[in-house]
Amino acid sequence: MFRKILIANRGEIALRILRACRTLGVEAVVAYSEADRESLPVQLADEAICIGPADAKRSYLSAPAVISAAIVTGCDAIHPGYGFLSEDEGFADVVRAHDLVFIGPPSSVLERFASKESTRRLLAGHGLPTIPGSNGILRDDAHALAEGERIGYPLLIKPAAGGGGKGMRMVRTPRELEASLNVCRSEARAAFGDDSLYLERWLDENRHVEVQVAVDRYGHGIHLGERDCSVQRRHQKILEEAPTPALSEAARLELCERAVRAVVAAGYENVGTLEFLVDNAGNFYFIEINCRIQVEHPVTEMLTGIDMVATQIRIAAGEPLGFSQADVSIRGHAIEFRINAEDPERDFRPSAGVVERYLAPGGPGVRMDSHLYAGYEVPPYYDSLLGKLIVWGANRDAAIARARVALDELVVDGIVTNVAIHKALLSSEVFLDGKFTTNLLDRVGSAAFLAAAARA
Amino acid sequence: MPDKERSAEQRQLDHAAIDRLTDELLPALVAKLGDSGLGEIEVREGAWRVRVRRPGGDGTGQTRRAGDRASRAQPGHAGHGHPPAGFEGHRSSKEPRESRESRVSAGSQTNGSTPAGLIPVGPGAERTEAPPQEDAPAVERTVATSPAVGVYQPRSDARPGSRVRAGDRLGAVDMLGIPQEVVAPIDGIVGASLVEPGQAVEYGQELVIVEPVDEAGSSGGRQGRGNREA
Repeated sequence: MFRKILIANRGEIALRILRACRTLGVEAVVAYSEADRESLPVQLADEAICIGPADAKRSYLSAPAVISAAIVTGCDAIHPGYGFLSEDEGFADVVRAHDLVFIGPPSSVLERFASKESTRRLLAGHGLPTIPGSNGILRDDAHALAEGERIGYPLLIKPAAGGGGKGMRMVRTPRELEASLNVCRSEARAAFGDDSLYLERWLDENRHVEVQVAVDRYGHGIHLGERDCSVQRRHQKILEEAPTPALSEAARLELCERAVRAVVAAGYENVGTLEFLVDNAGNFYFIEINCRIQVEHPVTEMLTGIDMVATQIRIAAGEPLGFSQADVSIRGHAIEFRINAEDPERDFRPSAGVVERYLAPGGPGVRMDSHLYAGYEVPPYYDSLLGKLIVWGANRDAAIARARVALDELVVDGIVTNVAIHKALLSSEVFLDGKFTTNLLDRVGSAAFLAAAARA
Repeated sequence: MPDKERSAEQRQLDHAAIDRLTDELLPALVAKLGDSGLGEIEVREGAWRVRVRRPGGDGTGQTRRAGDRASRAQPGHAGHGHPPAGFEGHRSSKEPRESRESRVSAGSQTNGSTPAGLIPVGPGAERTEAPPQEDAPAVERTVATSPAVGVYQPRSDARPGSRVRAGDRLGAVDMLGIPQEVVAPIDGIVGASLVEPGQAVEYGQELVIVEPVDEAGSSGGRQGRGNREA
């Protein structure tokens, strides 16, 4: 096991990793930017080190600053959290070159799965169905149009590097495709430093279902069930739940087993998430793999009782998984609500400012992962996630009942949050019936959705 | 609080009040806070309220180890009216500023005051948009701060007593083998070093005191050389 871990992230995930380190009895150092000096992970850390100014490019995204901080504080491993440097194989490589361990897959594995387009081909070769898409990266506009013609519209334009909805566009006609390519290229370049794009058939009504896997260095892999992330706004997940209401138990099991078989065969290592689209008929198509701990990992923790972050750290330290598929039992139903500093009344515009009052909900089956405290000033420089409310119940109805109580209990004064959208979801028939699809919020319009919930 | 539509006269009065609070009251409160061991001092006077809080660090970029927080005697920021809005508790800040800007710009001044010689590091550093500090007031700092996280080495010719100009190199912080220059924030005399050569430092950490030279030469000539040569 590691002696001391540098946590190169911020907000709720820095706090989550700090807790995992303590549970494992490993020392931790929180690396922070000047804008996060008063943040909760910095306050709770035994040791913290300022690595740069508020601008993430010179702090959380600066490989030299992060690695230098790890060296001068005597760390032997770096946990990148999610976002920032978490899936940067170049960073993982430099970390290794400095005799430190990157907590995640080894750089060689990250490299193999870096391009979504080649990952799709790799895993298709190991038996995962994929959505019809372009043959490789789009060379130019003419190639894009020809491929579009062949696959058929509507289409989704996707960047080969990265995720999170950046550089992604759905287009219904060749004209729209032509008009969107440049925008997508520049978005992808800005977000990932790589403007390669590819095309995929767009499934109008689909659900986003992902499988959590964990594979140790010795090729022993297991799945920890799936999560349904169909409630999205502009390709950003808002709410995640498990098990998915979209598939039968037998279908879920088949999906998870095929996913873990494919990644083990393809040489994956550490925790990871395979994302699938599921159509109306229950067909599933592999779309991408996330080689990091994910925002929604607590959903799986609630169902399995397994600490995903600790598992990730143990695997990176070279430990065997220590348990088998038979030891993983999925119990009950869990839902996670992302609490964002966004104003649903104003097109989800990000808000920032001082949290005047903060009261976290509690009770059986209720978990709040958040870095908020009364008096904390939410800086405007980073993403808008303030925390995650996770509820568990013996079944979906019980989880929803607890969620209603917990959302009512949650108090965040001083800044605007998106809690209204969650309350609206919990009174939406489509959601209660478990029939939410990824484009529903955008198709109906979030404003209309909120208004309908207010009338109900 | 003064309200939004103020006459020119009221504004002038406000500015005078702010000047006085900043120049007289604030230094006194900061000194008091430093001596007292209190966490926070608040003083009300008419429509104005000044609050000085210990957490410090803002603008000074000190090493923040959770354990030793209480021992820190850094002047914090002062607020007028709506807390925690405030302007940095240093001399030249005359205008009240919105909370976010002031906190952030104060925090970034260590960065803003390490000028030209700084080598950009990290991915995309060359297109740094230098965001919030642009409109920050030009606060005179008298401590050279670390431009990076790494290992500090002073320059052998920047000994205490040497005369330096703003921007002169005092040493470097080695970040993965790339020296990041530590520069004098002002014209003055090199004073005490706050860290040892070879010591690990964090971004924004105070490294070397640079004493300003005033007309009477009272603060400068401690070790002779500098003033006379000038």
